[in-house]
Amino acid sequence: MEYIIKNGIVYDPTNKIEGEKKDVMFKNGKIVDNVSSDAKVLDATDKLVMAAGVDPHSHIAGPKLVVGRLYRPEDSRRGVKPKTATTRAESGFSIPSCPATGYRYSRMGYGTVVEAAMPPLEAKHTHEEIVAIPNIDIPALALFGNNWFTLEYAKDNNVEDLAAFISKWLKITRGYGVKIVNPGGSEAWGWGMNVHGLDDPVPYWDVTSREVIHTLAEANESLGLPHSIHLHPNDLGHPGNYETTVGSMDLIKDISKNSPVRDQTVHMTHIQYHSYAGTNWRDFESGAEDISKFINKNDYVTCDVGQITLDETTTMTADAPMEFDLHQLNGLKWANKDIELETSSGIVPFIYSGRNSVHSVQWAIGLEMFLMVNNPWQIMLTTDNPNAGPFIRYPKVISWLMSNKRRTEMIEHGEVHKAVGRKSSLATLDREYDFDEIATISRAAPARAYGFTDRGHLGVDARADIAVYDIKPNEIDPSNEYETIECAFGNAALTVKDGQIIVQDGEIVSTKESQTIWANVQGIEERENEVMKKVMPVFDKYYTIKFENYLVHDHYIHNPIEVNIQAGK
Amino acid sequence: MAYEEPIRDYDELVENCTCAFCGCNCDDLTYLIKDGHVVGVRHACRLGASKVMEDMDQRLLVPMIRNDEGNLVETDWDTALDKAAELIAGAVRPVFYGWSETSIETMKHGIKLGELVGAVLDNQATICHGPSLQAVQNAGYPVNTLGEVKNRADMIVYSGNNAMNSHPRHMGRYSAFPRGYFRKRGRFDRTIVTMDPRYTDTAKMSDIWVGFEQNGDYEFYNAMRAVLRGKKLKKDVISGIPKEDIEELVEAMKTTQYGSLFFGLGLTHTLSKQRSIDIAINLIQDLNKFTKWNLVPMRGHFNVNGFNIFMAFEMGFPYGVDFSRGYPRYMNGETNTIDLLTREEPDVFMVIAADPGAHFPGGANRHLTNIPVIQIDIHWGPSTELADIVLPGSFIGVEAAGTSYRMDGVPIYMKKAIDKPETCRDDEWIVRELHERVQKIKGEKIASK
Amino acid sequence: MKTITFNQKKTSPIALEFDELIPDTIYNWEKSDFDKYMVPIGNSKFSLSNYFDVEVGGEAESPAEVKMILNGDLGRVKYIGNKMSDGQVIANSSVDLHCGAEMSGGSILVNGDAESYAGREMTGGELEIKGNVKEFCGASYIGDWRGMTAGMITIHGNAGKQLGECLTGGEIHVKGNCDILPGIHMNKGLIQIDGDVTRWPGGQMQNGDIVINGTLSRFLEGFNQEEVVIDPTIAGKSFSGKYIKFTGDIARNGKGTIWLAANKNRHLL
Repeated sequence: MEYIIKNGIVYDPTNKIEGEKKDVMFKNGKIVDNVSSDAKVLDATDKLVMAAGVDPHSHIAGPKLVVGRLYRPEDSRRGVKPKTATTRAESGFSIPSCPATGYRYSRMGYGTVVEAAMPPLEAKHTHEEIVAIPNIDIPALALFGNNWFTLEYAKDNNVEDLAAFISKWLKITRGYGVKIVNPGGSEAWGWGMNVHGLDDPVPYWDVTSREVIHTLAEANESLGLPHSIHLHPNDLGHPGNYETTVGSMDLIKDISKNSPVRDQTVHMTHIQYHSYAGTNWRDFESGAEDISKFINKNDYVTCDVGQITLDETTTMTADAPMEFDLHQLNGLKWANKDIELETSSGIVPFIYSGRNSVHSVQWAIGLEMFLMVNNPWQIMLTTDNPNAGPFIRYPKVISWLMSNKRRTEMIEHGEVHKAVGRKSSLATLDREYDFDEIATISRAAPARAYGFTDRGHLGVDARADIAVYDIKPNEIDPSNEYETIECAFGNAALTVKDGQIIVQDGEIVSTKESQTIWANVQGIEERENEVMKKVMPVFDKYYTIKFENYLVHDHYIHNPIEVNIQAGK
Repeated sequence: MAYEEPIRDYDELVENCTCAFCGCNCDDLTYLIKDGHVVGVRHACRLGASKVMEDMDQRLLVPMIRNDEGNLVETDWDTALDKAAELIAGAVRPVFYGWSETSIETMKHGIKLGELVGAVLDNQATICHGPSLQAVQNAGYPVNTLGEVKNRADMIVYSGNNAMNSHPRHMGRYSAFPRGYFRKRGRFDRTIVTMDPRYTDTAKMSDIWVGFEQNGDYEFYNAMRAVLRGKKLKKDVISGIPKEDIEELVEAMKTTQYGSLFFGLGLTHTLSKQRSIDIAINLIQDLNKFTKWNLVPMRGHFNVNGFNIFMAFEMGFPYGVDFSRGYPRYMNGETNTIDLLTREEPDVFMVIAADPGAHFPGGANRHLTNIPVIQIDIHWGPSTELADIVLPGSFIGVEAAGTSYRMDGVPIYMKKAIDKPETCRDDEWIVRELHERVQKIKGEKIASK
Repeated sequence: MKTITFNQKKTSPIALEFDELIPDTIYNWEKSDFDKYMVPIGNSKFSLSNYFDVEVGGEAESPAEVKMILNGDLGRVKYIGNKMSDGQVIANSSVDLHCGAEMSGGSILVNGDAESYAGREMTGGELEIKGNVKEFCGASYIGDWRGMTAGMITIHGNAGKQLGECLTGGEIHVKGNCDILPGIHMNKGLIQIDGDVTRWPGGQMQNGDIVINGTLSRFLEGFNQEEVVIDPTIAGKSFSGKYIKFTGDIARNGKGTIWLAANKNRHLL
């Protein structure tokens, strides 16, 4: 079937198309440069057209999520919607059910979402949920930062074996890349402890977070994976942590990039949570300036923000010691899940409020990061869903970025605490994003950071993942009409996924099965086998599951997108 | 126990099979197969081995329908499925109960069917760890995988649970005995505590037995928490335990390096129900200020946790999910099987891989005798006596492959080792067929309007 | 004033769900609207007129001017007065689950018993039950730590387990006895029980007041005995007599108060 989206105003930063009035054509699920006269015409006259969104960091599938859903029925009850002729029933606000997750991303014009943390032992579970989520393609990042094997290799600075281990484990778990969460800290949580800073040794392992990050980055580049290491550094949410964050970015400056499909060697995730100055919650203030300065000077770093949206949400991360601290702080129900030899995780409901000075400053820090990082290719739109807020708030964040007027209003009308004025420089920043920059931070840049060449843009041969929004970029004044912006980005006029029309006028009109994207490294099979000879005795001794039952069988991967990589090339 | 000769007469070995009995989901079993039957099982406990080996005992082999005289008579699959689909399609308050002894793959079709007709989907949690889940929802869920216990724990508490009898390999494979990375000497590196009114086999294996009085658990845990907050206990004896003992125990729990609490139905089904678990979870949270503690509910069936996980990711609620209004509703005491049955609301009841006839209270079963009951199962049991349509399924982990979730949430792909009896069908196939047939009936109804 | 009277014609074994039939939605309905109305039962909807004959008298401009009277056996009618914000509901029989759940204003009078979850998550208004209530009266929705936040529940009979669970405001007054764990996880508000309590009031409470005028059989270690107070004023309400004051639940670092009538509870001193 051929289609032509006519007369839209197209923003496609990858192909340097900035607000051009043109047609977008697609056929058999791919973008093409011409179609026959039989093509079905979809009128988008003067409307905003972009590639479908790519979310670089979101928690949508896996054991953490299910614990959240299981233990927060009061959240599931919010956002309940009956089934329709096309859709299944929905539930949940900050932790929506799997079907709801797919529908809601589609309604925002998204096509690809990266699940940011997959514990290898429960990878099957993550993939089961991916299958249950419709409409979006989902790569999952496997957790390596606290894996016992990683700790051993890092201690010995054994990059070669670590690279083979990663390559093997990505095959076993059908993972896409290397996620590192509070390196060493989640292992320390096995004893109820944490590590602080980059040089605090992990209890019993005689290795530091600095060594873990550096070795993993080296291994990642030696394999030439399509994504760089994806780093959630130490000390999340601690006042004064900006120094650790700068140190974490700085420590890999000597590593050279070994992949043509991306620009960075490290992706720093939810940077907002890592840009705090001060020494305690009383003198806590923004450290965004130091962080953004570093990023502006070093193009080997990309980041996503983790913007606070001031909602009642559910925090969940593999940074389990941090979650326990959060529980001590707010007293709300605490869930924790430690996974043998691999990681830990924690979950706590959290109510971010504009009346609270700390939350308001956190809100400001996220926006500061967006506004102080000059190159939009280095910063991406996320709320670290659901940690800083549910992903359905992206349209709201976009409206904040495009309207200084709205931001000023929030500060001046007391929608956020007055501490924002004292402890951050947000009020002095009058930068406003344009549509090209929005397209960059929400699709082009994330796609580039993940080495996705087939999405995030509208060039010929890309997947026909397209979003049309009901706003006229040449007529609207986003600064004043921020509500229209929010509404339009939340209810796509048209969402196309792989050439299939999923959403029309904000309503789901059809659904399709999601696909798992995973990275298959080839060329070092022998090395992998050597490493496995050493891994297996340890595996058999300390895991409580047989290796045969640990693997993610084909059964769990419904029509995968396999990204083949020649190791080291 | 008499010496038994090892089984040497078998055709093949199938290794790394997963036990389809309790929530331990031991995945290291070796099946000894001869003439298409499992004649021996290595590594399993007696409970698991006997279940796997006696797969043909009182086996349901052919579909049956109860006739007008009240006898179950054999029929063909089409007739039985059509009849069942007709009943489901016409029901106003259908309940689909069970699921804990079948695969996630089967549940996937079950939820589609449930959503289509507006049924209540519920599992065995409703009569076992339901209160635990409610407590989790109130207080939190600090859990770990069993390997964490094996590798790190130096103190293990069993509360209201007799693992030696209910989960026989639990202590051997995961908690007390195995040698772990940080516990190289196994049992010698650990302190085992049993908190139970009864002096159980597990208590006999333990270093410390705390035999608090029946129904005294809430008060006992409350006292422990108070001690942890620095209170001098006022009463000399609390819930049957001298206050000095409580203080000593709390001190030991506080100073251990890694503690793990396992609790069973002995804690969930006492007077204070979910609140006993609620306060136990809170105790674990308090202890984490001093050292590391986690807990794990001792789930019964091998996939009872799987159903809760599955329903949570599909619909946001763990069990007792009511689709009657087109959206999921979850309300304890309202959308649970026992409550519905004792209120005599359901008009069609489908039971899959469960035995309400053996486990439900009399009042609930009484209503089952008054309404059509569809049974999908592998063995003849009390529920078959209540059933009007019997659909013989297959044995997950032996005759059919499928996913299950261990008590700690670790997913396992249970593989198939032998073929099912020719006349039986896979659970997955049966439920999918029912879904398709009901869809057809509903479609025809709409078309005729 | 508009009086809407529901006279039962027949009962249903499967409960009728009355969540839409509250003054807020029906204040401007005519008799014909009720005759047309399809009431949810199980997975279907059936004509309300099969079950109730509805009489409508008078006029109403707003929900506040509605008096809704339900006659017959309401033991299988759920969600009576659910989420209502104004008006008056009188149920002349025992009622099913969720009566007055999430109501924010107006009043409900039940001339009979109430099933579980009566007044669950109320945010205002008055709920009066002449008979007994079952479990979780005035409680929170499961999982939520915020229960009833305002309003008044009066129970003339006995109350079941976990009365006022997670109570976060408002007042519950039980004139009869109370089963275990009233005021569990309570955050704020007042529970007054004139009869006896079996066990463990205020388990894990953080704040608020529980007054027990009858006998308490067993108490938790998490409470510290403070002074004896004569004629105390509790949550702005005056009580007469001698009360022993306890604070706790220490197990939760709580600062709640339990007031026990001294003359009935000498065994706890």
